[in-house]
Amino acid sequence: MGFDLALATILSPVVLFFVLGLLAALARSDMAIPEAFAKGIAIYLMMAIGIKGGVEMSKSGLGPDVLAVMASAVALSFSLPLVAYSLLRLTTRLGRVDAAATAAHYGSISIVTFVAATQAVGLSGLESSGYLVAAAAIMETPAIMSALLLVRRDRTRSEDEPGGGSGELLREVLLNASVVTLIGALIIGWITGTEGMAKVEPFFVTPLQGVLCLFLLDMGLAAGRGLRKGYAMLGVATIGFGLYMPLVSAAVATLFCAFLPMSAGDAALFITLCASSSYIAVPAAMRLALPEARPYIYLTLSLGVTFPFNLTIGIPLYILAAQWVTG
Amino acid sequence: MHDKRRLEIIVERMALGRACNILEEADLTGYTVLSAISGFGGSNRWRSAGDLSTTQDMVVVIAIGDAQKVDVALRELSRLLSRHIGVLSVGDVQVLRPGRF
Repeated sequence: MGFDLALATILSPVVLFFVLGLLAALARSDMAIPEAFAKGIAIYLMMAIGIKGGVEMSKSGLGPDVLAVMASAVALSFSLPLVAYSLLRLTTRLGRVDAAATAAHYGSISIVTFVAATQAVGLSGLESSGYLVAAAAIMETPAIMSALLLVRRDRTRSEDEPGGGSGELLREVLLNASVVTLIGALIIGWITGTEGMAKVEPFFVTPLQGVLCLFLLDMGLAAGRGLRKGYAMLGVATIGFGLYMPLVSAAVATLFCAFLPMSAGDAALFITLCASSSYIAVPAAMRLALPEARPYIYLTLSLGVTFPFNLTIGIPLYILAAQWVTG
Repeated sequence: MHDKRRLEIIVERMALGRACNILEEADLTGYTVLSAISGFGGSNRWRSAGDLSTTQDMVVVIAIGDAQKVDVALRELSRLLSRHIGVLSVGDVQVLRPGRF
Protein backbone atom coordinates (compact mmCIF):
# COMPACT_ATOMS: atom_id res chain seq x y z
CA MET A 1 0.00 0.00 0.00
CA GLY A 2 2.72 2.45 1.09
CA PHE A 3 5.02 1.50 -1.77
CA ASP A 4 2.16 1.71 -4.32
CA LEU A 5 1.22 5.15 -3.04
CA ALA A 6 4.84 6.34 -3.19
CA LEU A 7 5.19 4.98 -6.72
CA ALA A 8 1.91 6.57 -7.84
CA THR A 9 3.03 9.93 -6.40
CA ILE A 10 6.49 9.80 -7.95
CA LEU A 11 5.15 8.69 -11.33
CA SER A 12 2.42 11.35 -11.50
CA PRO A 13 2.80 13.86 -14.38
CA VAL A 14 3.17 16.71 -11.87
CA VAL A 15 6.22 15.18 -10.16
CA LEU A 16 7.73 13.96 -13.43
CA PHE A 17 7.54 17.47 -14.91
CA PHE A 18 9.28 18.77 -11.79
CA VAL A 19 12.02 16.16 -12.28
CA LEU A 20 12.29 17.17 -15.95
CA GLY A 21 12.84 20.82 -14.97
CA LEU A 22 15.34 19.85 -12.29
CA LEU A 23 17.38 17.67 -14.64
CA ALA A 24 17.23 20.26 -17.42
CA ALA A 25 18.62 22.95 -15.11
CA LEU A 26 21.30 20.64 -13.72
CA ALA A 27 22.33 19.77 -17.30
CA ARG A 28 22.46 23.53 -18.09
CA SER A 29 19.70 23.36 -20.69
CA ASP A 30 18.42 26.74 -21.88
CA MET A 31 14.84 25.70 -21.05
CA ALA A 32 13.05 28.60 -19.29
CA ILE A 33 9.53 29.72 -18.44
CA PRO A 34 9.11 33.50 -18.90
CA GLU A 35 9.12 35.24 -15.50
CA ALA A 36 5.80 37.08 -15.94
CA PHE A 37 4.11 33.89 -17.14
CA ALA A 38 5.40 31.93 -14.12
CA LYS A 39 4.08 34.63 -11.79
CA GLY A 40 0.73 34.50 -13.58
CA ILE A 41 0.56 30.74 -13.08
CA ALA A 42 1.40 31.16 -9.38
CA ILE A 43 -1.50 33.63 -8.97
CA TYR A 44 -3.80 31.25 -10.87
CA LEU A 45 -2.86 28.39 -8.54
CA MET A 46 -3.45 30.47 -5.40
CA MET A 47 -6.85 31.52 -6.76
CA ALA A 48 -7.80 27.96 -7.69
CA ILE A 49 -6.76 26.54 -4.31
CA GLY A 50 -8.32 29.42 -2.37
CA ILE A 51 -11.69 29.35 -4.12
CA LYS A 52 -11.94 25.57 -3.85
CA GLY A 53 -11.14 25.74 -0.13
CA GLY A 54 -13.68 28.53 0.37
CA VAL A 55 -16.43 26.52 -1.32
CA GLU A 56 -15.66 23.51 0.88
CA MET A 57 -15.73 25.77 3.95
CA SER A 58 -19.11 27.17 2.93
CA LYS A 59 -20.44 23.60 3.13
CA SER A 60 -18.86 22.61 6.43
CA GLY A 61 -18.75 25.95 8.29
CA LEU A 62 -16.34 27.03 11.03
CA GLY A 63 -16.87 24.93 14.16
CA PRO A 64 -14.73 24.51 17.28
CA ASP A 65 -12.94 21.56 15.65
CA VAL A 66 -11.78 23.74 12.78
CA LEU A 67 -10.71 26.50 15.17
CA ALA A 68 -8.67 23.96 17.18
CA VAL A 69 -6.81 22.98 13.99
CA MET A 70 -6.21 26.66 13.14
CA ALA A 71 -4.81 27.34 16.63
CA SER A 72 -2.54 24.30 16.31
CA ALA A 73 -1.37 25.54 12.90
CA VAL A 74 -0.39 28.92 14.37
CA ALA A 75 1.32 27.29 17.36
CA LEU A 76 3.34 24.96 15.13
CA SER A 77 4.26 27.67 12.66
CA PHE A 78 5.60 29.71 15.57
CA SER A 79 7.38 26.90 17.39
CA LEU A 80 8.85 24.78 14.55
CA PRO A 81 11.42 27.48 13.67
CA LEU A 82 12.68 27.27 17.26
CA VAL A 83 13.24 23.52 16.80
CA ALA A 84 14.84 24.12 13.38
CA TYR A 85 17.08 26.85 14.80
CA SER A 86 18.30 24.62 17.63
CA LEU A 87 19.03 21.77 15.23
CA LEU A 88 20.85 24.06 12.81
CA ARG A 89 23.00 25.50 15.60
CA LEU A 90 23.74 22.03 16.98
CA THR A 91 24.48 20.21 13.74
CA THR A 92 25.82 22.83 11.30
CA ARG A 93 28.32 25.67 11.29
CA LEU A 94 25.71 28.31 10.45
CA GLY A 95 25.81 31.50 12.52
CA ARG A 96 22.86 32.89 14.47
CA VAL A 97 21.47 35.08 11.68
CA ASP A 98 21.79 32.46 8.91
CA ALA A 99 20.29 29.82 11.22
CA ALA A 100 17.36 32.07 12.22
CA ALA A 101 16.59 33.05 8.61
CA THR A 102 16.75 29.40 7.50
CA ALA A 103 14.65 28.25 10.46
CA ALA A 104 11.86 30.69 9.54
CA HIS A 105 11.40 28.86 6.22
CA TYR A 106 10.66 25.62 8.08
CA GLY A 107 7.83 27.09 10.14
CA SER A 108 6.16 28.55 7.08
CA ILE A 109 4.61 26.54 4.26
CA SER A 110 4.89 25.68 0.57
CA ILE A 111 1.56 26.03 -1.17
CA VAL A 112 2.70 23.91 -4.15
CA THR A 113 3.65 21.05 -1.84
CA PHE A 114 0.18 21.44 -0.34
CA VAL A 115 -1.47 21.21 -3.78
CA ALA A 116 0.62 18.15 -4.68
CA ALA A 117 -0.40 16.57 -1.37
CA THR A 118 -4.07 17.34 -2.08
CA GLN A 119 -3.74 15.43 -5.38
CA ALA A 120 -1.97 12.53 -3.65
CA VAL A 121 -4.61 12.42 -0.90
CA GLY A 122 -7.32 12.19 -3.58
CA LEU A 123 -5.31 9.49 -5.37
CA SER A 124 -5.15 7.42 -2.18
CA GLY A 125 -8.94 7.52 -1.81
CA LEU A 126 -8.98 9.84 1.21
CA GLU A 127 -11.18 12.94 1.54
CA SER A 128 -10.03 16.35 2.69
CA SER A 129 -11.79 19.54 3.82
CA GLY A 130 -11.29 23.02 2.45
CA TYR A 131 -10.44 24.76 5.70
CA LEU A 132 -6.82 23.60 5.53
CA VAL A 133 -6.30 26.23 2.82
CA ALA A 134 -7.01 28.81 5.53
CA ALA A 135 -4.53 27.00 7.79
CA ALA A 136 -1.96 27.29 4.98
CA ALA A 137 -2.54 31.04 4.71
CA ILE A 138 -2.23 31.71 8.43
CA MET A 139 0.93 29.59 8.74
CA GLU A 140 2.92 31.97 6.50
CA THR A 141 3.44 34.68 9.11
CA PRO A 142 4.14 33.34 12.66
CA ALA A 143 7.36 31.68 11.49
CA ILE A 144 8.75 35.04 10.35
CA MET A 145 7.99 36.57 13.75
CA SER A 146 9.69 33.62 15.40
CA ALA A 147 12.89 34.17 13.39
CA LEU A 148 12.92 37.86 14.26
CA LEU A 149 12.59 37.04 17.96
CA LEU A 150 15.51 34.62 17.69
CA VAL A 151 17.91 37.36 16.56
CA ARG A 152 16.32 40.20 18.54
CA ARG A 153 18.99 40.22 21.24
CA ASP A 154 21.67 40.81 18.56
CA ARG A 155 19.89 43.92 17.38
CA THR A 156 20.10 47.50 18.51
CA ARG A 157 17.98 50.48 17.54
CA SER A 158 20.96 52.01 15.71
CA GLU A 159 20.71 49.18 13.20
CA ASP A 160 17.40 50.53 11.88
CA GLU A 161 17.75 50.80 8.15
CA PRO A 162 17.67 54.07 6.28
CA GLY A 163 14.70 54.38 3.96
CA GLY A 164 12.76 51.67 5.71
CA GLY A 165 10.41 51.45 8.66
CA SER A 166 8.75 48.67 10.57
CA GLY A 167 5.61 49.25 8.49
CA GLU A 168 7.39 48.07 5.36
CA LEU A 169 8.25 44.69 6.88
CA LEU A 170 4.80 44.32 8.39
CA ARG A 171 3.22 45.05 5.02
CA GLU A 172 5.51 42.51 3.33
CA VAL A 173 4.73 39.86 5.95
CA LEU A 174 0.97 40.35 6.25
CA LEU A 175 0.07 41.56 2.78
CA ASN A 176 2.41 39.63 0.52
CA ALA A 177 0.82 38.59 -2.77
CA SER A 178 0.44 34.90 -1.92
CA VAL A 179 -1.34 35.53 1.40
CA VAL A 180 -3.68 38.18 -0.05
CA THR A 181 -4.56 36.07 -3.12
CA LEU A 182 -5.08 32.91 -1.09
CA ILE A 183 -7.23 34.49 1.63
CA GLY A 184 -9.09 36.67 -0.89
CA ALA A 185 -9.96 33.66 -3.07
CA LEU A 186 -10.93 31.68 0.03
CA ILE A 187 -13.39 34.39 1.08
CA ILE A 188 -14.77 34.66 -2.47
CA GLY A 189 -15.27 30.87 -2.54
CA TRP A 190 -16.91 31.01 0.87
CA ILE A 191 -19.30 33.79 -0.18
CA THR A 192 -20.23 32.39 -3.59
CA GLY A 193 -20.38 28.72 -2.55
CA THR A 194 -21.22 25.85 -4.88
CA GLU A 195 -23.27 28.07 -7.20
CA GLY A 196 -20.39 30.44 -7.77
CA MET A 197 -17.99 27.55 -8.23
CA ALA A 198 -20.15 26.09 -11.01
CA LYS A 199 -19.59 29.29 -13.02
CA VAL A 200 -15.78 29.23 -12.78
CA GLU A 201 -15.22 25.48 -12.67
CA PRO A 202 -14.08 25.18 -16.33
CA PHE A 203 -11.30 27.67 -15.55
CA PHE A 204 -10.26 26.74 -12.01
CA VAL A 205 -10.89 22.99 -11.73
CA THR A 206 -10.57 21.20 -15.08
CA PRO A 207 -7.24 22.72 -16.22
CA LEU A 208 -5.64 22.69 -12.73
CA GLN A 209 -3.60 19.51 -13.27
CA GLY A 210 -2.13 20.74 -16.55
CA VAL A 211 -1.29 24.17 -15.16
CA LEU A 212 0.28 22.52 -12.14
CA CYS A 213 2.54 20.51 -14.49
CA LEU A 214 3.68 23.75 -16.13
CA PHE A 215 4.28 25.36 -12.75
CA LEU A 216 6.20 22.36 -11.44
CA LEU A 217 8.37 22.40 -14.56
CA ASP A 218 9.32 25.98 -13.66
CA MET A 219 9.84 25.02 -10.01
CA GLY A 220 12.12 22.19 -11.16
CA LEU A 221 14.15 24.64 -13.21
CA ALA A 222 14.44 27.03 -10.26
CA ALA A 223 15.36 24.19 -7.89
CA GLY A 224 17.96 22.86 -10.31
CA ARG A 225 19.52 26.29 -10.82
CA GLY A 226 19.59 26.82 -7.04
CA LEU A 227 21.16 23.41 -6.45
CA ARG A 228 23.76 23.94 -9.16
CA LYS A 229 24.85 27.23 -7.64
CA GLY A 230 24.33 26.56 -3.95
CA TYR A 231 25.18 22.88 -3.53
CA ALA A 232 28.94 23.41 -3.41
CA MET A 233 28.54 26.20 -0.85
CA LEU A 234 26.43 24.13 1.56
CA GLY A 235 28.05 21.54 3.78
CA VAL A 236 26.82 17.97 4.15
CA ALA A 237 25.33 18.79 7.57
CA THR A 238 23.31 21.69 6.14
CA ILE A 239 22.00 19.60 3.25
CA GLY A 240 21.21 16.84 5.73
CA PHE A 241 19.12 19.35 7.70
CA GLY A 242 17.04 20.02 4.57
CA LEU A 243 16.25 16.31 4.44
CA TYR A 244 15.59 15.47 8.09
CA MET A 245 13.88 18.69 9.22
CA PRO A 246 10.67 17.96 7.25
CA LEU A 247 10.54 14.56 8.97
CA VAL A 248 11.02 16.18 12.38
CA SER A 249 8.22 18.67 11.64
CA ALA A 250 6.02 15.86 10.31
CA ALA A 251 6.60 13.85 13.49
CA VAL A 252 5.57 16.81 15.69
CA ALA A 253 2.51 17.46 13.50
CA THR A 254 1.54 13.78 13.62
CA LEU A 255 1.61 14.02 17.41
CA PHE A 256 -0.76 17.00 17.24
CA CYS A 257 -3.06 15.07 14.88
CA ALA A 258 -3.47 12.39 17.56
CA PHE A 259 -5.31 14.97 19.68
CA LEU A 260 -7.10 16.87 16.91
CA PRO A 261 -10.50 15.80 15.54
CA MET A 262 -9.39 15.26 11.93
CA SER A 263 -10.02 12.83 9.12
CA ALA A 264 -7.04 10.95 7.66
CA GLY A 265 -7.08 13.16 4.54
CA ASP A 266 -7.07 16.38 6.57
CA ALA A 267 -4.35 15.02 8.86
CA ALA A 268 -2.20 14.19 5.82
CA LEU A 269 -2.55 17.75 4.55
CA PHE A 270 -1.88 19.23 7.99
CA ILE A 271 1.28 17.15 8.37
CA THR A 272 2.37 18.15 4.85
CA LEU A 273 1.86 21.84 5.65
CA CYS A 274 4.03 21.54 8.75
CA ALA A 275 6.70 19.54 6.92
CA SER A 276 6.91 21.90 3.96
CA SER A 277 9.11 24.98 3.81
CA SER A 278 8.49 28.37 2.25
CA TYR A 279 10.30 29.64 -0.85
CA ILE A 280 8.20 32.68 -1.80
CA ALA A 281 6.94 34.70 1.19
CA VAL A 282 9.65 33.99 3.76
CA PRO A 283 12.72 34.60 1.53
CA ALA A 284 11.28 38.01 0.63
CA ALA A 285 10.60 38.86 4.28
CA MET A 286 14.07 37.68 5.30
CA ARG A 287 15.78 39.90 2.72
CA LEU A 288 14.02 42.84 4.36
CA ALA A 289 14.33 41.81 7.99
CA LEU A 290 17.66 39.96 8.05
CA PRO A 291 19.62 41.10 4.99
CA GLU A 292 22.87 39.82 6.55
CA ALA A 293 21.60 36.24 6.19
CA ARG A 294 22.91 34.61 3.05
CA PRO A 295 19.99 33.92 0.67
CA TYR A 296 21.71 31.06 -1.18
CA ILE A 297 21.66 29.00 2.03
CA TYR A 298 17.94 29.20 2.78
CA LEU A 299 16.76 29.25 -0.84
CA THR A 300 18.88 26.27 -1.87
CA LEU A 301 17.79 24.32 1.18
CA SER A 302 14.11 25.13 0.87
CA LEU A 303 13.70 24.98 -2.89
CA GLY A 304 16.53 22.65 -3.91
CA VAL A 305 16.52 20.10 -1.08
CA THR A 306 13.33 20.09 1.03
CA PHE A 307 10.82 20.78 -1.76
CA PRO A 308 11.97 17.87 -4.02
CA PHE A 309 12.21 15.61 -0.96
CA ASN A 310 8.64 16.38 0.09
CA LEU A 311 7.30 16.08 -3.43
CA THR A 312 8.76 12.63 -4.05
CA ILE A 313 9.29 10.87 -0.71
CA GLY A 314 7.71 13.06 1.95
CA ILE A 315 4.07 13.19 0.82
CA PRO A 316 3.53 9.40 0.67
CA LEU A 317 5.13 9.13 4.14
CA TYR A 318 2.87 11.87 5.52
CA ILE A 319 -0.23 10.15 4.14
CA LEU A 320 0.85 6.90 5.80
CA ALA A 321 1.50 8.74 9.09
CA ALA A 322 -1.95 10.36 8.88
CA GLN A 323 -3.65 7.01 8.23
CA TRP A 324 -1.77 5.51 11.15
CA VAL A 325 -2.51 8.29 13.63
CA THR A 326 -6.21 8.62 12.76
CA GLY A 327 -6.68 4.86 12.91
CA MET B 1 24.56 72.27 -21.17
CA HIS B 2 24.51 72.22 -17.35
CA ASP B 3 26.61 70.26 -14.84
CA LYS B 4 24.88 67.69 -12.60
CA ARG B 5 25.83 64.51 -10.78
CA ARG B 6 24.59 61.08 -11.79
CA LEU B 7 24.02 58.41 -9.15
CA GLU B 8 23.74 54.80 -10.25
CA ILE B 9 22.76 52.08 -7.79
CA ILE B 10 22.58 48.41 -8.67
CA VAL B 11 20.72 46.90 -5.73
CA GLU B 12 18.75 43.79 -4.83
CA ARG B 13 15.06 44.19 -5.64
CA MET B 14 13.97 43.76 -2.03
CA ALA B 15 15.88 46.92 -1.03
CA LEU B 16 14.51 48.99 -3.92
CA GLY B 17 11.75 50.61 -1.87
CA ARG B 18 14.26 51.74 0.74
CA ALA B 19 16.67 53.10 -1.89
CA CYS B 20 13.84 55.06 -3.52
CA ASN B 21 12.74 56.45 -0.14
CA ILE B 22 16.28 57.71 0.48
CA LEU B 23 16.40 59.41 -2.92
CA GLU B 24 13.04 61.07 -2.35
CA GLU B 25 14.00 62.21 1.15
CA ALA B 26 17.13 63.82 -0.37
CA ASP B 27 14.87 65.58 -2.88
CA LEU B 28 16.32 63.54 -5.76
CA THR B 29 12.89 63.07 -7.22
CA GLY B 30 13.93 62.49 -10.81
CA TYR B 31 15.07 58.89 -10.94
CA THR B 32 14.49 55.83 -13.13
CA VAL B 33 14.42 52.15 -12.17
CA LEU B 34 15.45 49.43 -14.64
CA SER B 35 15.42 45.66 -14.29
CA ALA B 36 18.83 43.97 -14.37
CA ILE B 37 18.91 40.71 -16.33
CA SER B 38 22.14 39.06 -15.24
CA GLY B 39 25.68 39.77 -14.17
CA PHE B 40 28.80 38.67 -12.39
CA GLY B 41 29.94 39.90 -8.99
CA GLY B 42 31.52 38.58 -5.81
CA SER B 43 32.82 35.56 -7.79
CA ASN B 44 29.22 34.56 -8.58
CA ARG B 45 27.24 34.69 -11.78
CA TRP B 46 23.65 35.71 -11.17
CA ARG B 47 20.54 36.03 -13.31
CA SER B 48 16.99 37.14 -12.68
CA ALA B 49 13.84 34.98 -12.91
CA GLY B 50 15.46 32.28 -10.81
CA ASP B 51 12.64 31.94 -8.32
CA LEU B 52 9.22 33.35 -7.53
CA SER B 53 10.29 35.17 -4.39
CA THR B 54 12.33 37.57 -6.62
CA THR B 55 14.82 37.79 -3.77
CA GLN B 56 17.68 37.15 -6.16
CA ASP B 57 16.61 39.81 -8.65
CA MET B 58 18.58 43.02 -9.04
CA VAL B 59 17.49 46.45 -10.25
CA VAL B 60 19.33 49.53 -11.45
CA VAL B 61 18.34 52.96 -10.11
CA ILE B 62 19.59 56.03 -11.96
CA ALA B 63 19.20 59.44 -10.38
CA ILE B 64 20.50 62.80 -11.61
CA GLY B 65 20.60 65.91 -9.46
CA ASP B 66 22.62 68.66 -7.80
CA ALA B 67 25.85 67.67 -6.07
CA GLN B 68 24.65 68.61 -2.58
CA LYS B 69 21.46 66.51 -2.93
CA VAL B 70 23.50 63.55 -4.16
CA ASP B 71 25.85 63.91 -1.17
CA VAL B 72 22.90 63.80 1.24
CA ALA B 73 21.57 60.64 -0.43
CA LEU B 74 25.04 59.03 -0.49
CA ARG B 75 25.34 59.04 3.30
CA GLU B 76 22.14 57.07 3.73
CA LEU B 77 22.70 54.85 0.68
CA SER B 78 26.10 53.76 1.97
CA ARG B 79 24.39 52.66 5.20
CA LEU B 80 21.78 50.77 3.19
CA LEU B 81 24.41 49.02 1.08
CA SER B 82 26.37 48.01 4.16
CA ARG B 83 23.62 45.42 4.74
CA HIS B 84 22.10 44.81 1.30
CA ILE B 85 23.62 43.44 -1.89
CA GLY B 86 24.47 46.26 -4.28
CA VAL B 87 26.95 48.52 -6.06
CA LEU B 88 26.91 52.31 -6.14
CA SER B 89 28.70 54.72 -8.46
CA VAL B 90 28.64 58.48 -8.93
CA GLY B 91 29.73 60.47 -11.97
CA ASP B 92 29.59 63.96 -13.42
CA VAL B 93 27.17 64.47 -16.29
CA GLN B 94 25.76 67.32 -18.33
CA VAL B 95 22.04 67.81 -18.87
CA LEU B 96 20.08 69.83 -21.35
CA ARG B 97 17.26 71.05 -19.06
CA PRO B 98 18.50 71.69 -15.48
CA GLY B 99 15.06 72.63 -14.19
CA ARG B 100 14.02 68.99 -14.53
CA PHE B 101 16.43 67.82 -11.81
